[in-house]
Amino acid sequence: MSNSFLEIKDVTFAVSKLNKVNNVTFDMVKEGEIICLLGPSGIGKTTVLRTIAGLEKIQSGKIILKGKVISSSNFHLEPEKRNIALSFQENSLFPHYSVIDNIKFGSERNKDKKFIYSTNDLINLLHLEDIKKKYPHEISAGEAQRVSLARSLISKPDLLLLDEPFSNIDQSLKEELQKKIKEIINEIKISTIIVTHDSYEAFYMGNKCGIILDQSLKQFDIPYNIYHYPNSIEIVNFLNRGVLIDALVTGEMTLQNEELGIIMGNFVKKQKIGSSVKLLIQPEDLSHDDKSSLRLEVVDRKFRGTNFIYILKTNSNKFIPVLVDSHHAHQHRIKDKFGIRKPIHIDHLVCF
Amino acid sequence: MKIKQINLWYISSFFISLLVALPILTVFLSFFETTTDYFFLLKNTFLLQYISNSILLLFGVLLLSFLFGVGAAYCVSFYDFPGVNFFKWALILSFAVPAYIYAYALTAFFENYGTAFSILTYLFGPNEYNSIIPKVDGLFGSIVSISFSLFGYVYVLTRASFYYQSQNLIDVGRNLGLSPKKTLLKIILPSARPAIVVGLSLVAMETLSDFGTVSFFSVSTLTTAIYNAWIAFDDLASANQLSFILLLFILFLFFIENFSRKRAKYHTPSKGGFDTRIKIKLSGYKLFYTVSFCGLLFFCSFLFPVLQMLYWVLKFPKYLQDLNILNLVFNTLLLVVLSCILMIIFSFVANYGCRITKSKFLEILTTFSVSGYAIPGVILAVAFITLVSYLDNFIFFNFKTMFIGSIFGLVVVYFVRFFALSANGIKSGYLKINHSIDESAYLLGYSKFKTFSKIHIPYLKNSVLLISILIAIEIIKELPITLILRPFNFETFATIAYIYASQDLLEAAAAPSLFLILIASIFILLVSRYILSDK
Repeated sequence: MSNSFLEIKDVTFAVSKLNKVNNVTFDMVKEGEIICLLGPSGIGKTTVLRTIAGLEKIQSGKIILKGKVISSSNFHLEPEKRNIALSFQENSLFPHYSVIDNIKFGSERNKDKKFIYSTNDLINLLHLEDIKKKYPHEISAGEAQRVSLARSLISKPDLLLLDEPFSNIDQSLKEELQKKIKEIINEIKISTIIVTHDSYEAFYMGNKCGIILDQSLKQFDIPYNIYHYPNSIEIVNFLNRGVLIDALVTGEMTLQNEELGIIMGNFVKKQKIGSSVKLLIQPEDLSHDDKSSLRLEVVDRKFRGTNFIYILKTNSNKFIPVLVDSHHAHQHRIKDKFGIRKPIHIDHLVCF
Repeated sequence: MKIKQINLWYISSFFISLLVALPILTVFLSFFETTTDYFFLLKNTFLLQYISNSILLLFGVLLLSFLFGVGAAYCVSFYDFPGVNFFKWALILSFAVPAYIYAYALTAFFENYGTAFSILTYLFGPNEYNSIIPKVDGLFGSIVSISFSLFGYVYVLTRASFYYQSQNLIDVGRNLGLSPKKTLLKIILPSARPAIVVGLSLVAMETLSDFGTVSFFSVSTLTTAIYNAWIAFDDLASANQLSFILLLFILFLFFIENFSRKRAKYHTPSKGGFDTRIKIKLSGYKLFYTVSFCGLLFFCSFLFPVLQMLYWVLKFPKYLQDLNILNLVFNTLLLVVLSCILMIIFSFVANYGCRITKSKFLEILTTFSVSGYAIPGVILAVAFITLVSYLDNFIFFNFKTMFIGSIFGLVVVYFVRFFALSANGIKSGYLKINHSIDESAYLLGYSKFKTFSKIHIPYLKNSVLLISILIAIEIIKELPITLILRPFNFETFATIAYIYASQDLLEAAAAPSLFLILIASIFILLVSRYILSDK
């Protein structure tokens, strides 16, 4: 038996009669880790959290927390006995208690457990000072989410589950809060699972990320690997990372594409020489070179602040993104020809 | 899996539904029993008359309540005139005057040598006025009495619907070139139609259930026929068969009401857009007509019966002294408190059961168990007696005396009749508590019971208070059930007023009637804010 802190073993999560997330297996090795579950809306991420929290039962598989089975096909520990906190996406504050009283509801649980933050610390950290006397209907959705987060944190759970914790919070505060929450979680070593549809949030917050697509957990890995070594076309499409072009494997470290020519690099997965594959081209893979003979037409230009992404059209109607520093001396207009440095070298060759 | 789900919630919800279902089943089953001679007699002679009277009464009342209710709602919603805020809530005071008491007041005023006669004599000197004073009694008197006491349903529901109509709708109409009159007929009224239909069907159900008024005016309708079959001929079978016919009418109305209520929901727009409506400031003859209409309606529906009763109480003080007020208040309170406790406990059980089991079957059971409000009190009482007498054959201890002529039996039948009030009240309170709130509580370590006691109860305590008052108003006014099932010598304001009135001692009926109206008015004022909200 492994001694992971949390183990999800071959669990099928039933979202609705038709929609399920099948045979999910992952684990949280150490206490205090953050796992982010990433996926599009309506895929069942929330159901996964609700099931771990004990609000839904499972038909197959096992959920094991601290070596104890808490859910299986024939056993179900009631949610109030699990010591797992879930912070809902929608407002779930008790409507007839003020913000401060709502938070205090959380502190009733695990009173004796040591906790380095007091209720007031959390109120300050989460910027709730001004609203602590208010009632839930008087505060905004983002504020309600923060109160709910404070209430969950203060209950000192073994496992903290956050459902889209930053979805109603505006961009600037969101980044500040993400940083703070990460600090708090790391400091008090509270094991956390965060559900989100924002990949940047998941990559920033998570020690590990799981991607749920098409009713299953497609990949579970550290963020770097998910970003650079996506293991399926679906993940590439979901993360919106680039395009797939047809290529022919010509050697141990080379590929050949009709228009781009020879492409060199290290294969992530070994490919048979002579096989035709789909190669992932990400925006940062290609470099700009005005002098290059390889020139493609610009069809769109996206200004991203620190950089531009030029979208180039190939003759075979593929749209290839290329990242260029925004300080780059001259800019290219739509319909201009845009040079790409040759020979093309890509660090990790991701092929399918 | 299946067996695990059959728990306390199922059993109690099932029990409540059964309680409501039994009287209805009793009525339906007895229809197929061998007919007694009395029923044949009825069929050959009076049955048609009962039915036609009931129908005439129904249409008369519907017409008047529509005019009064929609007219008043329109005036206070769209126009600004002096006293508009007063009339807005003053018009709901009509709920405090039961139709049968209104009937006493009408008779007292218009009868030979009645109050109208006294006023004319005082003003113009003695003369033979009896021949020129119109006699408001019989079917016409019943229609007037019932309309003035029930138009409030139409008023309240229509006003709520008008309130939620956005100014946009009216502006669009104007923008498309509709005249104000056309706006009223083509936009405002049609979009309030579901609310008006719900109001009218409630009025219709109450009218068909009315017993006190028609019996006082000696109009033979289905309800009085049921009562007479039971009390005068001691013929439960005929009473039940008549009930069956009445129930068919009610069932029809019940479906109309339920159907319209569902549609009415679509007409409540979400937040915003409805409080911007600008009321039209009235002047000139329009102002005069509007104020007169509202003023007259308020006078006729509330002030007139109150003043008439007050006048008689002052004129014949000896009846007041005879009245054991403390005892009556105590009896009424006893019934109210016992019923409230029973209904509220069961409402919580039913609603909480539905909530945590999330069972569709349980929900259907609960929906069914609130349908008792549609059944006339007379039918419920008679069916209850039938049922208990039947069961008595199988049970050896004093089963019958436990239920019939006991406060316990009375409360049980009140329960069936008014359970809808409390169950729906608690339900609408529960609808405001998101499911994730319960789940949050579980996740914070609160057990199901602790969630119930620490989260639900404090949140719903206002609903409970409101429901208790609404139940109190209904029970104070309730006549036929109390009359038929009350213990010997146990009187409420309603029964004692009825007994005096039916003995032609209207002067003596004045004091209990006045007290009844006053107590009901106080309760209505306490909940007026709720009644006037969207409901």
